[in-house]
Amino acid sequence: MNRRRSRRISHSQRRGAPSEGQWRQRDKEQWQGEGKAQVRQADEEEQKPRQHEEDTVPKGTCQTMCPAQELRDREAQNRLHHFEMLPGTEKDRRPKGDPSRAVKEYSRPAAGKDSTKPSDLRPPPVLLKTVNYLINDIAAAPSLYPWTEVYTFVFDRLRAVKQDMIIQRMSGLDCVGILERTVRFLIYASYRLCGEPLRLYDPRINDIHLQEYLSWLLDCYMTKTGPHPNQEEFQSLSLLYNLGSARTMQHTMQLPLRLRSTPNIKLALFINQAFLERNPVRLLRLAQKLNFLQTCALHRHLMTCRQDLLLVYSHGYSSRNCRFPLDRLAKLLFLDASLTAQLCRSCGVEVNKDNQVVFSKAAFTEPGQGTLHCKLYHSIASEKQRDLTVKNIVQSCVETNKK
Amino acid sequence: MAHITINQYLQQVYEAIDNREGSFCAELLSFKHPHVANPRLQLASPEDKCQQVLEPPYDEMVAAHLRCTYAVANHDFVEAYKFQTLVVQSFLKAFQSHKEENWALPVMFAVTLDLRIFANNAEQQLQKKGKGQPSEMLEKAAEQLMSCFRVCASDNRAGIEDSKKWGMMFLSNQLFKIYFKINKLHLCKPLIRAIDSSNLKNDYSPAQKVTYKYYVGRKAMFDSDFKLAEEFLSYAFDHCHRSSQKNKRMILIYLLPVKMLLGHMPTHQLLRKYDLMQFSDVTKAVSEGNLLLLNEALSKHETFFIRCGIFLILEKLKIITYRNLFKKVYLLLRTHQLPLEAFLVALRMMKVEDVDIDEVQCILANLIYMGHIKGYISHQHQKLVVSKQNPFPPLSSVS
Repeated sequence: MNRRRSRRISHSQRRGAPSEGQWRQRDKEQWQGEGKAQVRQADEEEQKPRQHEEDTVPKGTCQTMCPAQELRDREAQNRLHHFEMLPGTEKDRRPKGDPSRAVKEYSRPAAGKDSTKPSDLRPPPVLLKTVNYLINDIAAAPSLYPWTEVYTFVFDRLRAVKQDMIIQRMSGLDCVGILERTVRFLIYASYRLCGEPLRLYDPRINDIHLQEYLSWLLDCYMTKTGPHPNQEEFQSLSLLYNLGSARTMQHTMQLPLRLRSTPNIKLALFINQAFLERNPVRLLRLAQKLNFLQTCALHRHLMTCRQDLLLVYSHGYSSRNCRFPLDRLAKLLFLDASLTAQLCRSCGVEVNKDNQVVFSKAAFTEPGQGTLHCKLYHSIASEKQRDLTVKNIVQSCVETNKK
Repeated sequence: MAHITINQYLQQVYEAIDNREGSFCAELLSFKHPHVANPRLQLASPEDKCQQVLEPPYDEMVAAHLRCTYAVANHDFVEAYKFQTLVVQSFLKAFQSHKEENWALPVMFAVTLDLRIFANNAEQQLQKKGKGQPSEMLEKAAEQLMSCFRVCASDNRAGIEDSKKWGMMFLSNQLFKIYFKINKLHLCKPLIRAIDSSNLKNDYSPAQKVTYKYYVGRKAMFDSDFKLAEEFLSYAFDHCHRSSQKNKRMILIYLLPVKMLLGHMPTHQLLRKYDLMQFSDVTKAVSEGNLLLLNEALSKHETFFIRCGIFLILEKLKIITYRNLFKKVYLLLRTHQLPLEAFLVALRMMKVEDVDIDEVQCILANLIYMGHIKGYISHQHQKLVVSKQNPFPPLSSVS
């Protein structure tokens, strides 16, 4: 055999096994991007027995929403958010931080930065307290500031909560309460901030993070045996948010029958089926039965559904003598007559002066990017909001469906 | 094999490597081979012995393999998986250093297969204990397999006979199995692209090609590309060896729904021959336009269809069933101006209660849009006006 002079790979070069969370973060970056097979060296697993592994998992000891060191640093560097300032000091050259309102901010992991100091990490009960504060006292509170700012602050601070969870390798039931509230908040935000200018709110970024939180939450339901009192709610929210996704549907179909047959999940499945069968009339009808938050989850797909209805009807009714009453169409679309006419116009569908729609397959055109403003067509959701407060929406565990 | 000593075993491995005997070396590292049951080889710390006989990185590879046999003998698949990971890593180092030779391909096949199997077993063990994230081990195994795939795919220097590219299809098939299991089908795309652009694609072994086409066909189904799915799955079915009843049946499970969507119903004999009677009621329902029977059939065999991942595709047969039902209405009334009420009546007869006239119009509009009906709906006259010529074109000509 040729004497191979190849170097021995020293076992001391073995890195520690990545924490589940770090792997998760890479998970998102890695599997995004069609066809991009990113290069990743397979990690050499540590061969230490399991119990030693537990000793190296960081455990937080910080009992406040913001670690003391960070508060001092940000105060000194004038990097406090106005939600965190001691009232009365906001106009000072160097405002003071309010320890009861300061919240640990998100910071990118960086080489040489130790993110595992126990005094900087918040244990599970503190994290839950932080999330509740962010929802009840910031997101749901009346504010002098526009809600886009409120959102940005809460979004960032929730991201820091997630970071603490990952570093401490939290799993299962500890995470569930935090993740459920986060998902509800982001779904609500996706509706409320729909249509805001890109520099204030980016729906794509909201979507990316929402999908990650949702996916983690559903994994928690799977790995830790229950009871999970809210699982029905979130499985159905996932189906609605990911309308038409074969993958989400397949995942749902593999849930235990008892869970799959709960009313919220069944309804979400029927709505997905209506979408796959391309029956927007049925879909929009079923959507009336959803509660407010469920409608928020679904709402971004509704424009597509309505357009689809116009497309299919343009073909189905295509004839020179076609006269389809605008009012009837409005009812099917669950819009008022003037919005219906506007939607028709955007799709090249003719509405004559007697308020009759003249469908023609040649006429229908996909509306250009940015010509349709989803926000104008929000009535299907806004009607359901009525006197629900933000706090009701994000904290509520039980939402009844309109039957 | 079951009684040789560790020294004898290591000597055999050494010689196999030295003489570039890929198949024999593969056997010595494969869990299909009886040596893994030999207690004399199941050592907790074989590293020293291996270093004495073998050069790096083979010493690491074999040491990890032996540790793996120890773990498997103790039914600890999580440990086994860990060590198999080391086996594959060490193997890859050696493989990469083989310039313009591919004798080690059989070894690669053996160790990667075992890696996937152990990942499966390890996950099952963890699930039972309520630990670990689902799919975590399979995803990691997939990453390793991708590393191997890249080494094979980038072998541009060697001549065809010595090229590592011959390993690509086997690895793709292994990766497909993982991606389908963890429900991440979009990851199949780069593999399919790589194989498609390779000049070897038609020259792999028949067995590999059948497996490949089976998975690519299933992917096409998932993407709703039914013509393509039919092409691939039919190839797989036709070329699958007669004696592999089980495999032929598996292919049929996916080929049948595709063919039904294209309007071709399977015969009773075929279903009986391959023990797929679950499809017989579905078939009957679709051809008769009987929505009631279709819903019953889907419900009755729901567990089977969901497990195979075809439940959602079979739901698409509803559209075909509507088409068949409405065609019956047309044939009965013998006019090309059909009142919409008639369709509603037909649906009620099929016990479809929750559809009203608005939804009937939507279903009809959709059938027209898809090309299943040639005609138009007149709202004013509440009629479906169909073409005098061939208003219900044959299903195979449409999608």
